[in-house]
Amino acid sequence: MPPDRAQMPDEPPPFLGTWPRVYTVVLVYLAALIILFYIFTRMFS
Amino acid sequence: MRPLDWLVLGGTLAGIVAYGLYKGRGSDTVNKYLLAGKTMPWYAMALSIMATQASAITFISTTGQAYVDGMRFVQFYFGMPIAMVILSATAVPLFHRANVYTAYEYLEKRFDAKTRALASAVFLIQRGLAVGLSLYAPAIVLAVIFGWPDRITTLAMGVLITIYTVAGGIKAVTWTDVQQMIIILFGLVVAFFLIIHMLPRGVSFMDAVYLAGDVGKLNAVDLKFDLANRYNLWSGLIGGAFLALSYFGCDQSQVQRYLTGKSIAQSKLSLLFTAMAKIPMQFFILFVGAMVFVFFLCERPPLLFQSVAMHDLESSALKAQYAPVGARFEQAFERRKDAALGLADARRNHDSGRRAGYLEQFRDAQREIDGARTQGAGLYQRARGEKGFNDTNYIFLSFVTRYLPAGVVGLLIAVIFAAAMSSSSGEVNSLATVTVIDIYKRHLRPNAPDRHYLWVSRVATAFWASYAVFFAHYAKKLGSLIEAVNLLGSLFYGSLLGVFMLAFWFRRVTGTGAFIGMIAGEAAIFWAFWFTGISFLWYNVIGCVVVVATGVLVSYFVPARAKAA
Repeated sequence: MPPDRAQMPDEPPPFLGTWPRVYTVVLVYLAALIILFYIFTRMFS
Repeated sequence: MRPLDWLVLGGTLAGIVAYGLYKGRGSDTVNKYLLAGKTMPWYAMALSIMATQASAITFISTTGQAYVDGMRFVQFYFGMPIAMVILSATAVPLFHRANVYTAYEYLEKRFDAKTRALASAVFLIQRGLAVGLSLYAPAIVLAVIFGWPDRITTLAMGVLITIYTVAGGIKAVTWTDVQQMIIILFGLVVAFFLIIHMLPRGVSFMDAVYLAGDVGKLNAVDLKFDLANRYNLWSGLIGGAFLALSYFGCDQSQVQRYLTGKSIAQSKLSLLFTAMAKIPMQFFILFVGAMVFVFFLCERPPLLFQSVAMHDLESSALKAQYAPVGARFEQAFERRKDAALGLADARRNHDSGRRAGYLEQFRDAQREIDGARTQGAGLYQRARGEKGFNDTNYIFLSFVTRYLPAGVVGLLIAVIFAAAMSSSSGEVNSLATVTVIDIYKRHLRPNAPDRHYLWVSRVATAFWASYAVFFAHYAKKLGSLIEAVNLLGSLFYGSLLGVFMLAFWFRRVTGTGAFIGMIAGEAAIFWAFWFTGISFLWYNVIGCVVVVATGVLVSYFVPARAKAA
């Protein structure tokens, strides 16, 4: 079996300090991509 | 294929195997063989996740799909970042802390043995049927284009993945995935720049983009909600999120990638990086397809991109019937070419009146071309007694082999091999892991020494690789069943996701509740499949909701029986 990792700590991310901030950045990035693609669709159609 | 192409292809494949053997050294315990000793950095896991997901047929057909249908397929991936955030916050820490080799092992810790057994069986059936197709589908495309016997191609790919997967386990699989992903991206970038370079004289890159947009090929976002429409913003965000949750959270071929992380943070980063990189990558692949469409506005494409079908149409038996169809196609192509060049010129001169006129002419000619293609396909199907002809998968490779220079053709065929091998090796490795950990060790031989399980893991890996080749050899005889097999994945993911949601978020749900919920979820999905016209992306939502609702209700009403079970 793998070594005991039951107490494995959830260390902070290497940037932005906390995981909720990283998740927010990912979701904002998704929203930005969708807006960008929408503008792309409208601009060239 | 010219000698330089063979050299590039052979060199790339030899490089993949050698690199896999080199990186897989030292896999001498079960933990190292199946989980890489939990030493993997985030970037290796991320590229491995992307490579395992991107099969050869995904790569071949995505470009063709943009040619035929535009870029709306990109919306399919909009739900992925949402799913990756949810998995990073929930599944990744839970799986890591539970000390598990497989996602299904976690279900026994949370519920009971029967729920684990049912989930493992679902995975083995679904993934076991898909693994052969990962080899067969590109082999059949290469068979049509180059005339290579598909059995030899599948056997070659099978032997290559067997060598490094059996020897080096998941470490070899992950590092070769990284290498294969780099080859895939490099090949696509080279193809893109060559397409732009080969655009007709007088058509600039921006002209090409505006042309593609004018004729509806850059339709990346569709805001209209429609349950029967496979790709729109809402099906992508909701259906896509559920599909990605199922695939990345419950499918061992993906879960095993991030279980190899050296820490929870590294595993989370790998999923989040995948979420951020995947959408632009798919957008780029679709954009390449849209540019191939623009290329063929001035260079006459074949009526049908499948060369065997074209050969049949031009043969003596069908020649008389094909002649008027070919003439109709030829005339429509010339009219479309004139309209496209006029459209580009009118845009450059800001002449909106001429632009509208040319656009109308273009659409009219395009309808004629589509009509001629449908007629041609109908002729071929009637002559062959076949149904459901579709040449989308042949569009990009037809372009590659006709127009790209020596060496680049070899590189892009290597990309197809790399994509097929990365998907298959990941699937074989995960199937072997579930077979050994969830079946053999759990039910047949629970207390053997580590070296015994290592040996059984190697045998199971060799078995699943051989099975994949064997299945691929006989896939042709399955005929239209192949489509059903492809659909099979989406028929099972929803209930798997539901049972994991119960495990993660509903503490009071019992093993029996989860088990009955899973069966009810499957029943609901099959009902939707057989009796409704709902698009398959929604099956995951339906299955998951039914599993969760049934699991909660059963656990509430029969808690005592559940505990006794």
